[in-house]
Amino acid sequence: MSDRWTEKLSPYLDGELSAVEREQLESHLAKCEECAAALEQLRRVVGRARALEDRPPATGLWSGIAERIGAAPSDAKVADLEARRRSKVARLRQRRLSFSLPQLAAASIALIVISAGGAWLVSRPAGPAAERGASSVSGQAGLVSAPVAGHSATSYDAAIVELERIIDESRDQLDTTTVRVIEENLMIINQAIVQAQRALAEDPASEYLNEHLAATMRQKLEFLRRAAEMTRAVS
Amino acid sequence: MTNLKQDRDLRPVDADDAVLAAAGDAGAFERLYNRHVPRIHSLVRRMIGADLADEVTQDVFVRAWQKLGSYRGEAAFGTWLHRVAINVILGRRKQLGIRRERFVEGEGVVGRLSSNPKGAETAIDFETAIELLPDGAQQVFVLHDVEGYKHGEIAQMLGISSGTSKSQLHRARMILRDYLDR
Repeated sequence: MSDRWTEKLSPYLDGELSAVEREQLESHLAKCEECAAALEQLRRVVGRARALEDRPPATGLWSGIAERIGAAPSDAKVADLEARRRSKVARLRQRRLSFSLPQLAAASIALIVISAGGAWLVSRPAGPAAERGASSVSGQAGLVSAPVAGHSATSYDAAIVELERIIDESRDQLDTTTVRVIEENLMIINQAIVQAQRALAEDPASEYLNEHLAATMRQKLEFLRRAAEMTRAVS
Repeated sequence: MTNLKQDRDLRPVDADDAVLAAAGDAGAFERLYNRHVPRIHSLVRRMIGADLADEVTQDVFVRAWQKLGSYRGEAAFGTWLHRVAINVILGRRKQLGIRRERFVEGEGVVGRLSSNPKGAETAIDFETAIELLPDGAQQVFVLHDVEGYKHGEIAQMLGISSGTSKSQLHRARMILRDYLDR
């Protein structure tokens, strides 16, 4: 096989040789197995190229086009919106070294909760005398307040469930740090509620413990409400 | 060619949507996009690489939207869009000054591909082999053997002679032959 002949193989396949050239090449191919094999391989390459199937892009591109041509957002396909949402989440997750607004909001709520929990632990009554003193301290700190205003036990539970549902549904739109802050603070509040309930079981008549439990439950409601608002703002 | 048949099949519905789109109907243009994006994206990917394929495909459709007023319906919309795509791709290549380090022959190219590909992987790896071709050979091979353009048309598009187009095509086929042979 020489370049003289191989260079004619593609033109031969494409029907671009003159009659004389074609005859010469065919005569050579009859004697040269190597060139005949090369011709067959080239034929396969051309066949493969013609059989290639078109594939759509892996992600939707229409929303970007719609934006650039000034089309209404409603024209964007749902798949595109989903891709854009995922991209937004990915961008949020890349912010490792700075606190986002949701993180700061969650952290500020956490500070309130931790302060409340810490104050309660410090002022936790050891006996009736201590209880009276603690009630006084807590009252000065503004931590003791009325029972969960406007909520029966049933409506309170329903409100908690609803807020938790909202947060759960928006969970994947928040970055992992924000989710962690929310979860950790909910755990702190829940622990404070459990502790207050246990203390009340031992001393059901304690005015302070009743007020403290109501305040903690109200804080949980407020925390969830603010967290739900935050998730709505992010989504 | 399959693409030409596809153009004929889509022509009536494309023509209606093209008229609507030219009048500013983005919904009609979205339908055109949905019907043609697989072909355009594949063309872009083969000619400019997977990394820029999404971005350049968007450029193609934005350019098409801007030029819809010049589409007279003489050719199938798919054919017209294809030419718009080629112009965008060539413009982008020129803009980027693409000078990839792909000017390697046979063994250097096939050495980056997996051996004995089977099933769906065969098609993927053949596409990868195309992307790994030397620039000139790649463009001519895609335009001639995949898209069905003639050497005269390719020469005009790329600003080269027909002879150069033919020699680059043969070069591409010989490289890919080596890959098919493994």
